Amino acid sequence: MVNNRNEYSSTKRNWIAGIIVTAGLFLLPFILTNFGKTGEYWIWVTTEMIIMGLFAMSLNLILGFGGMVSFGHAAFFGVGAYTVALLMKKAGVSLFFALAAAPVVAGLAAAVIGWFCVRLIGLYFAILTLAFSQLLYMIVFQWYTFTGGDDGIHGIPRPEFLGPLNYYLLCLVLFIICFLIMRMLVNSSFGLTIRTIRENLERAKFIGLNVRRFQWLNFIIAGSFAGLAGGLLTELNRFSQTEFLHWSKSAEPILGSLVGGMYSLLGPAIGSAVLIFMKIFLQQLHKGLVEIWAIILGLVLLVVVLFAPGGLVGIYEKAFKKS
Amino acid sequence: MPEAILKIEGLSKSFEGSQVFNDVNFAIPEGELSSIIGPNGAGKTTLFNLITGYHVPDKGKILFRGTNIAGMQPFHIVGLGIARAFQRTNIFPRMTVLENVLTTVISARKGNLSLFAPFRNHDKDHERAYEILENVGLADMASRESGTLAHGNQKRLDIAVALALEPKMLLLDEPTAGMSPEERWHTVELVKGLWEKLKITMLFIEHDMDIVFGISQKVRVLCYKTILAEGTPKEISSNQQVIEAYLGEEV
Repeated sequence: MVNNRNEYSSTKRNWIAGIIVTAGLFLLPFILTNFGKTGEYWIWVTTEMIIMGLFAMSLNLILGFGGMVSFGHAAFFGVGAYTVALLMKKAGVSLFFALAAAPVVAGLAAAVIGWFCVRLIGLYFAILTLAFSQLLYMIVFQWYTFTGGDDGIHGIPRPEFLGPLNYYLLCLVLFIICFLIMRMLVNSSFGLTIRTIRENLERAKFIGLNVRRFQWLNFIIAGSFAGLAGGLLTELNRFSQTEFLHWSKSAEPILGSLVGGMYSLLGPAIGSAVLIFMKIFLQQLHKGLVEIWAIILGLVLLVVVLFAPGGLVGIYEKAFKKS
Repeated sequence: MPEAILKIEGLSKSFEGSQVFNDVNFAIPEGELSSIIGPNGAGKTTLFNLITGYHVPDKGKILFRGTNIAGMQPFHIVGLGIARAFQRTNIFPRMTVLENVLTTVISARKGNLSLFAPFRNHDKDHERAYEILENVGLADMASRESGTLAHGNQKRLDIAVALALEPKMLLLDEPTAGMSPEERWHTVELVKGLWEKLKITMLFIEHDMDIVFGISQKVRVLCYKTILAEGTPKEISSNQQVIEAYLGEEV
């Protein structure tokens, strides 16, 4: 059977670039450790980029591939974060068990919330996800005795062998594993089904698809990956706080996806890394620039939406397609 | 006479107080190629919407091979064997022609929950998809993004998607709408050819009387909220009631 690759519309593979970038990412912290305090800071920043990249990729399973705009993805990020924080701080559970529990608990939360949300479509779906995430935010905010309210949970232990460098490597390995799993999902019959629903929801029903069921499953999967990301960020910061559940946290992966490109798997991760880098770069350039970060971000988005709707990945693909 | 594959009994439907159907009754024998005609706004598409589960009837039964499907979910009805092509092209635009059919083939065999195996490596699905594309004459466009196809080809892809469900009954809502006269006859021959080859029941809505009378075994006229008449093309074209209500003088 001829399986010639241009019969398909989904992302093309670029093994060589992938291997070079992966090798670079593994080498990076070893180079950075030679630069003292600054190096350590950048290891921390790149670890955060990897984690937020995972978060953005998880959202994009529903946003870019599923065509469902969620304004409440931080709910699952936050559930993962608090799962790790509470298990480690209050139950004395080990980091690896806590990190394994984070996607499970977040997935359960996504199953409950998603069950209601997938009954609606478009803007109504988006608003309901926002409502649920704000509800969770308020519960965590108010339930002082359990969650620490707006103080959050601090002093989360860190196993001794996990210094900044090793923690970076742990996050990177987990990121790559998650990426490979997501790539399998996107290229599977399930992934094709999800794209089918994105393309034409009404028609999808008439090819025999129980649309809600697949959207629900996709929502749960996306929530699980977000939970892992939340757990990883909690351990990186050694604290969990209500901000992780705030609606502005839901906006971050959306912005990352827009900038990086919604129709590719890695685009959102690249986009959010670029945004984090830009923010820090501007901060170091001049302190005052942070105060107008929202304006700068707005301008960046304006340019992307107007001139490069496919995001950075779209630009890359255009540049290398016709050569 | 063969057994009825579809039997509609006492079907009524209103939208916001205005009645579209009042006590519609008819039966379609298995294997028939028939058409539904009627003036604009008579509810031809609404009838399809009721049969395929898009709308829920107020009253009455829709029996498909003995099962009452009135009010069932569309995906459920598809599973029982009714597929549909749409009046306004209704495909998955940013997917390739092949993927449009492939996703439907996968849906037809309930393979959508395969989470990790690449859909590209399933040779059987591909063979099936290509077979269907051959049937409608789109095989050489398999790798095109379907949204970029010409209108006529998109309509044919719409039919291909419906065929991929291996339906027992196929509903075609104006398969030639918006086509040039040449394309029209091409499509008509395609529909007739498919019917002869696949031996399934087909029901289509059409405005062009030459096409209707040219290929239908039976014609049903939808008018005044009910089936005004049904019969062979010959019977219909000489039916006084139908001429007065709908066909006018020139037929």
